[in-house]
Amino acid sequence: MNTLTSLEQAEKILAPWTKEAARPEPNRLDIIISGDDVFACTAALKQESWGYLSAITGLDLGPDAGALEALYHFCQGAAITTLRARLPRQGGSLPTLYPLYPVSSFFERELSEMFGITVINTPDSNRLFLPDDWPVGVFPMLKEFDPKVEQPRMETSSQTFPSQDGQKFYVPIGPQHPALKEPGHFEFTVDGEVITEARMRLGYVHRGIEKAVEGQNWVQNLYLLERVCGICSHTHATAYVMGVERLAGVEAPLRAQAIREVIAGLERIHSHLLWLGVSAHEAGFDTLFMYSWRDRETVMDILEALSGNRVNYSANIIGGVKFDIYPEQAATIRTGLEYLEERIRHYLDIVTSDTLFLQRTRGVGQINREEATHLGLLGPTARASGVLRDVRVEAPYGPYTRYPVSIVTSEAGDLEARFIVRLKELFVTINAIRTILDNLPESEMSVRVPRRIPAGETISRVEAPRGEAFYFIKSNGSDKPERIKIRTPSLCNWTAVLSKAPGSQLADAPLLIAGMDPCFSCNDRMITVKRLEHS
Amino acid sequence: MQKNQFPIFEKLKTWARVNSPWAIHFNSGSCNGCDIEILATLTPRYDLERFGVKLQGSPRHADILICTGPVTRQARERLIRTYEQMPEPRFVVAVGSCALSAGVFQNCYNVVGSIDEVIPVDAFIPGCPPRPEAIIDGLVKLLQSLQTAPGTENQDQVSVEKSLSRPASSLMRIE
Amino acid sequence: MFSALQPLAQILLFPAGLFLVINGIVIEWIDRKLVARLQNRIGPRWFQPLADLVKLLAKEEILPAAANPWLFIGLPMIALAGCLTAALYVPIMGLQPAYSFSGDLIVTLYLLSLLTLSKGIAGWNTTNRFSLVGATRGFTQLFAYEAPFLLALLGPAIAARSWQIDTIIQRNAGSWIILTQPIGFLVALIGLMGKLELPPFDAPEAETEIVAGAMTEYSGRGLALFNIAKSVEFVVGLTLVAALYLGGVNNPLEYLLKTLFILVILISLQTLLTRLRIDQTVGLWWRFGTILVLIQWMVLIVWKASAL
Repeated sequence: MNTLTSLEQAEKILAPWTKEAARPEPNRLDIIISGDDVFACTAALKQESWGYLSAITGLDLGPDAGALEALYHFCQGAAITTLRARLPRQGGSLPTLYPLYPVSSFFERELSEMFGITVINTPDSNRLFLPDDWPVGVFPMLKEFDPKVEQPRMETSSQTFPSQDGQKFYVPIGPQHPALKEPGHFEFTVDGEVITEARMRLGYVHRGIEKAVEGQNWVQNLYLLERVCGICSHTHATAYVMGVERLAGVEAPLRAQAIREVIAGLERIHSHLLWLGVSAHEAGFDTLFMYSWRDRETVMDILEALSGNRVNYSANIIGGVKFDIYPEQAATIRTGLEYLEERIRHYLDIVTSDTLFLQRTRGVGQINREEATHLGLLGPTARASGVLRDVRVEAPYGPYTRYPVSIVTSEAGDLEARFIVRLKELFVTINAIRTILDNLPESEMSVRVPRRIPAGETISRVEAPRGEAFYFIKSNGSDKPERIKIRTPSLCNWTAVLSKAPGSQLADAPLLIAGMDPCFSCNDRMITVKRLEHS
Repeated sequence: MQKNQFPIFEKLKTWARVNSPWAIHFNSGSCNGCDIEILATLTPRYDLERFGVKLQGSPRHADILICTGPVTRQARERLIRTYEQMPEPRFVVAVGSCALSAGVFQNCYNVVGSIDEVIPVDAFIPGCPPRPEAIIDGLVKLLQSLQTAPGTENQDQVSVEKSLSRPASSLMRIE
Repeated sequence: MFSALQPLAQILLFPAGLFLVINGIVIEWIDRKLVARLQNRIGPRWFQPLADLVKLLAKEEILPAAANPWLFIGLPMIALAGCLTAALYVPIMGLQPAYSFSGDLIVTLYLLSLLTLSKGIAGWNTTNRFSLVGATRGFTQLFAYEAPFLLALLGPAIAARSWQIDTIIQRNAGSWIILTQPIGFLVALIGLMGKLELPPFDAPEAETEIVAGAMTEYSGRGLALFNIAKSVEFVVGLTLVAALYLGGVNNPLEYLLKTLFILVILISLQTLLTRLRIDQTVGLWWRFGTILVLIQWMVLIVWKASAL
């Protein structure tokens, strides 16, 4: 069904609890409800299979308004329904959505520790992103919090998790561990080689970006947000500038949009090849690691030729792109893509036919479609389980309306399927890039955007190599943003590891973690800690 | 064990240390850009193994701690712990602008600062992220400086508790 | 006087001792260089393993507070001593073994196992979680490959009707057992990979899972000794397989060629295969390894019986 019909349906479903309804943007529906009705509304939407919970944003409306607001965003295709609940600035509480959407546990923890909102009956109320030594009662996302003031360090125990029953033997992985290129902490309780319990502590890469953006202007924030993650930096920048452009009422010129898609495609290629090498290394197959990274250098060279930097290419500016693709560069890109296509075919062959590699990946970490939908997985991890979730296809944005891509899925749901899906996606991406290069429209590189962005709210969703990245941007009409909320795909995909780890072998743990292509720095602008009990 | 009287042994030790720098990598809050460039130095195009650098898993096996990222509050203690676990002689290489000065994250509430506010650093490699060639250049310069200055410590057998009051190594900032 | 010095020289210089350490270093270099080349890289310089060794010996050795210091310091020495002693019974460099007595084949194999044993106990001793898992995996793997490996090496012994290495080589001189017992050779080769914990059987030291396995807490001299012990074991293992299966080694040139041949095969397998999980390793050994070698023995026994 199309967006309009979707929104009308949602409005109808939520009518019993609606205090006020609004259509701030053609694809968005805002419903103001009371905080206590959140669960009922969500249940109603889930009953009618309307979309999935994509993010929960907390907003501080300011000491003058004297209220906080919690926004629950549900997405179906391109339509986004947001439930808005007002809460007092102190002592507000909300019901948990965990029974309906397990992934909401992460979002609710974030909400509590950042804003001081209590979520009733949420299964885990430990700190998600904030460090262990963060003072209690200090909520960073409230307006009165000053990021420049150094917060005192509280006493903490040296153990990340409270000490367990002495009989259990647990193996910690991280924050310093050869399997992890980024710090994160997993604790696997093992019985011999079999994992019986899995726990996770994130927050080692939490820097406090969402607060920092409120103190810098729109242009400065572009450079900050590019560095949320080094591997998918272009995706974050694209989501940001698209949202800001929408608020400013401008649209980037056609050529700029096309170039954005080319860079996004190249980024996807580099990211998936990187992931292939790292996963192979985790499995102990160093040869594949070396070869795939050698071939990845081809795409790094292309990106460097276009932008001047191998990582953090900084292609976007608000209103367009910084650099053009000249015909000579286009020719280089085509040659590189030909080479890469052949190599990726070779790697696809290896991951589907190498006996020993298959022994490590086939049948491991199997998640079927229902489970994947229920857990709220995103990106290739979900698509490998047959879930048709891809923002570029469901809700095409910017250039993807003119240069669409097709969705790649698999039904198997195990690690092997995740390899296959990611590699096959690259073929689609390569073809899309070729199409764009053949049909680059002529136009300027950018349009002017005012220094002060008009007041308003917008939501930007883009498909990062790891899944859907969700940006909620609110402007108050000045040259600094009022609020930017970032929900990255890795946050939703952790459940894939934590639910599959118990029952697996210890040796599979690094592969399970790698299989969902984690990006700690993406999700740690917030901290997340999750506990999973295994009966 | 007292310091060796024979200069030939010192030369041999220095030669061995310069030619066999085993590294360990720790990310103390980086966006990952520097880390993938560090990993890239191990891959065929750049191949750090030519210089004898092997990436180790355990801090006890490593001579060089390659560190990235602005130090976040949560990672700070772990960074110190990892550093303390390394046996002498040990060196720290800070890679990336964030490691040098917190980079773009200077106004973030969960960032403690640059790496040398937490542990003593021997080489700084700027860039956002620095290219693999720059990382190799920085490492090679560090190794070259080891050759000229005999700044290596005594090797005593000590138990694992070590205080952080050890002064920074005598080999300092490489330009 | 001279006769009293001779054993000492044999243990410290040749064939065991210094010569073996140098030999081990050369083998390690060939291994790392060839692996690097197969991975499309340049690889280490020729003196790299020597530099690694000297550096480790010169590094501070940290003694974990919870570990028994006698075991901590003594186990690497025992491991090295075991491997060096094992070299006295095999024809290093194609020359006659320094010592020989009936049954020394079994003794050699057990001396070689001292390394795995020491590593395992060292892992348990250091009480680090990773070393504990690594030690457990090491022992599990030991139980898995030891039997098939032993049986595979006994194949030539049966053909020569002796358990003495020197006698086996002399009686089988000229005939390449690999041709008459190919399955046995295969099992012996793979068994050697398991013994040396080479990929794909390096689960006990799986870096991405358990950091460094049993060696996690070792540094400085202890680590150096374990590393040398592993290189020395490599040399002795190669010599044994080459001598028993490839028609004996009568002179240094033949020795070098035959051991290099096996080395190249091992390195290629190392590069091409993914690491196996420990349960898959054990499964592989107890199913394929044992069955294959038992088939080989059946064939051998039947053939021998019919030849009588």
